[in-house]
Amino acid sequence: MTAVGRNVRRADGEGKVRGSVRYGMDYTELGALTGKVLRSSLPAARIARLDTSTAATMPGVRAIATATDAPGLSGMFFVLKDQSLFARDEVRYAGEALAAVAADTEAQAEAALAAIEVVLDPLDPVLDPDHALTDGARLIHPDWESYETIVPGPRSGNLAWESRIERGDVDAAFQEAYRVVEDEFRTQRQHQNSIEPHAAVARYEEGRYTVHTPTQFPFNVRGRTAELLGVRPSDVRVVVPAIGGGFGGKLDIMLEPFACVLARKSGRPVRIVNTRSEELRTCAPREGGIVRLRTAVARDGSILAQEGEIIADNGANSSGETVACANAASLVLGSTYRVPNARYVSKVVYTNTPPTAAFRGVNGPYSVFAQEMHLDHIARELGMDRRDIRLHNLIGSGDVMVNGQEVDGPFLREAMDELETMRPWQQLQASKRPYRGHAIVPVTWLTNSGAGSASMKLNEDGTVTVASAATEIGSGAVATGVRQLVADQLGVDFHDVLVTPPDTDTGGYDLGAQGSRTTFGAGNAMIDAGKKVREQILDVAANLLEAAPEDLELADGSVHVQGVPDRRVGLAAISATASMTSGPIIASGGFVAPPESFDGGCMTGALLTHFTAATYHAHHAEVEVDPDTGRVTVLRYTVVQDVGRAINPQMIEGQIQGGVVQGLGYALYENLRVHGGEVVDDNLESYRLPIAADTPPIDISILENPCPYGPLGAKGAAEPPIVPVAAVIGCAVADAIGAPVNELPVTPFAVLQALRKQGESAA
Amino acid sequence: MSYAFTLNGQPIEVEADVAGMTSLLSVLRESFGLTGTKLGCGEGRCGACTVLVDGTPVVACLYPLANVDSSDVRTVEGLAGPDEPLTEVQSALLDHGAVQCGACVPGVSMTLTALLECADHVTEDDVRAALTGNICRCTGYTKFVEAAVSVAADSGGRQ
Ligand code: FES
Ligand code: FES
Repeated sequence: MTAVGRNVRRADGEGKVRGSVRYGMDYTELGALTGKVLRSSLPAARIARLDTSTAATMPGVRAIATATDAPGLSGMFFVLKDQSLFARDEVRYAGEALAAVAADTEAQAEAALAAIEVVLDPLDPVLDPDHALTDGARLIHPDWESYETIVPGPRSGNLAWESRIERGDVDAAFQEAYRVVEDEFRTQRQHQNSIEPHAAVARYEEGRYTVHTPTQFPFNVRGRTAELLGVRPSDVRVVVPAIGGGFGGKLDIMLEPFACVLARKSGRPVRIVNTRSEELRTCAPREGGIVRLRTAVARDGSILAQEGEIIADNGANSSGETVACANAASLVLGSTYRVPNARYVSKVVYTNTPPTAAFRGVNGPYSVFAQEMHLDHIARELGMDRRDIRLHNLIGSGDVMVNGQEVDGPFLREAMDELETMRPWQQLQASKRPYRGHAIVPVTWLTNSGAGSASMKLNEDGTVTVASAATEIGSGAVATGVRQLVADQLGVDFHDVLVTPPDTDTGGYDLGAQGSRTTFGAGNAMIDAGKKVREQILDVAANLLEAAPEDLELADGSVHVQGVPDRRVGLAAISATASMTSGPIIASGGFVAPPESFDGGCMTGALLTHFTAATYHAHHAEVEVDPDTGRVTVLRYTVVQDVGRAINPQMIEGQIQGGVVQGLGYALYENLRVHGGEVVDDNLESYRLPIAADTPPIDISILENPCPYGPLGAKGAAEPPIVPVAAVIGCAVADAIGAPVNELPVTPFAVLQALRKQGESAA
Repeated sequence: MSYAFTLNGQPIEVEADVAGMTSLLSVLRESFGLTGTKLGCGEGRCGACTVLVDGTPVVACLYPLANVDSSDVRTVEGLAGPDEPLTEVQSALLDHGAVQCGACVPGVSMTLTALLECADHVTEDDVRAALTGNICRCTGYTKFVEAAVSVAADSGGRQ
């Protein structure tokens, strides 16, 4: 039986339900010391004194590390190298590391932290991104010009990075406009809050570091750790145990370099595990954003031109993906609707706050929220139906996105049509009741194009082992998706495809679990390796069966002559024969997405330039608002999602349900507040995560528009379901209360305020 | 002080140095190597550390060891022995594709087991209410609910 398209049980499932799977947080080594990090309590200060001499003499203390132990500067993806492991001379955020200790017990490590003498001379913190960009603002990185960058980028002072798209003649279009509509939107920080906190166990042997860490992106951890410590990437080996959730929060280094330094200095393995409070205070969340949109429209609702300014709060340094993804905001603004003339500027700004990073969908959720609330504003101005204005401007075959990239089909329209059959718009409009609202949002999203590789061997027993550094963060991409692909390619049972745990010493390069790329990118790399393994198998089988390789088929763990199922030889026999004749069967493969054609000339500072394996989506929500309490209840949620090819429909559904619920949290209550530079919500009581009772019924329809270079046509499926959720909820609440909401989250308080404002203006 | 209780069916005795305030979770993980029960927050909010004490779900990260004296404690490792087939709940979670990263799953499995062992009638809302103390960041909960309802339905039309 073929595996692709079936809801096979995940390969790691039994271990997970039995509690026997060993996660990063469960891993330790014999004799491991406990590591702890001393962090700044102030958001901005000069370090006047840092004295570890007393702490070093305390019982059980085996090593203390400070800035001198980690000489390097680095940055996420090596884009902008403005991060040191420990603060040197100056502190730039509350929570920045000052020193780290390894001791026999946790209590001893904590006592030693308390005994480190720290004197900080406070500086005026720069906290507001708009303020940070003003002329007189204190520079958070006075040496910004000296930092290395991957490519020259537009930046200056507190403007860490800027990316721009300019297309057509914007000013002329604005002059011809029937109406010009303007809005500003503000959104909050959202924390990934994987149930497993960050954890790392490092040891130092033979001049190399080995670190076990539940990271989404082992090669990044390897490279970034090496850079901060001033050693070669190959001097660091990263091994990945089971990962208890990531959502972008485990792409970058967090504790690994500290554990490595302490292991070297103490000569012992060192284990560091974050508390929930450390997670919330120091592990980089989705950035807060400000989006300002100004749009010129014609009388019929056509978008003539749009200007957009996106301000993303980088926090104190570029240790997260905020800089690398800056241009994604502009691309998203200009890839769902036709925007023939556009000027988008995406600014990533330093503030004295904890650094921000990738969370599923990066800046997509707030860019889409802004665009959709803004479109509703335009529709109101023109007296147009909200769905009509979207359909009228919807991008389709033959259109180009804002970067000049051609759209590969009428798939957005198909998604909207499918949604219409599930939740007929006019019917819902007609049956509208007070304080009930609904909304519809289409969106185009991408699949991460990054490189992957794999090596594959046929085992003596006819099973197949794939060595890869692709990580399983829970989506099922490694536990089901890629195994299903390989199983069918080689005609073996799903359970007979084994995948090694990620290890940078044995697995080839892989860009990590991000942007829904694992089934797509790592899957393609495995298929590439599988092709060669298949050829080797057929060559050996052809000799044994005295047939031409073209006449052979692989199925049920053996090779047989087409049409003659009895003339067969098992894979175990082929493996044995090969090892005595042509040599053991093994091959490697690689993949990186082919280039798309787009207009590079219209962009500056763009690190993400185009959409690979674009996917098309339409979401709908119905909400009810309680006018007395302001509480929003989501009554029903609907998702139409194009996945290219559904390798495991049940796993995709799970990604959609989970992504939508994370989006609901973002839309309605999750908010990592930072006051005076300090994280306010440092526990799960005040940081409110969605619980089971919050989740509405979610109807799902999966569309399959195959991608010519996806494995069997598959495209990314896990990331996008979160992207339009805040927009749909925002628009539906606005519909319910008859007033716009221009900030996230849409808390009961915000709803009551909007209702009151509306009452006042009506009076 | 020492405390005696049954842990996954086996009688045991634990010496605690502090006045019984050691958390049950640290004893399970550190003294008995039962790492299936997870430390997600340590503050009683996430439910990843849920175990059953005399059949009732408790958050082991806050539960004092003293309180389990002469009780019956069950952890995820005690649902099905290592060589035994999965329980209905565990099996249903896998069949419904309800497991993603799995960090919450030991706690969720315990909560659902307790619910299904004592309720003779289980609706979707019952399951959602029972799961109030179990945060899952991955799944959106729907498949947990489907899995639990299917178990109830299979075991004699209790639904
Ligand atoms: S670890 Fe006990 S409730 Fe979170
Ligand atoms: S499956 Fe990951 S937290 Fe529940």
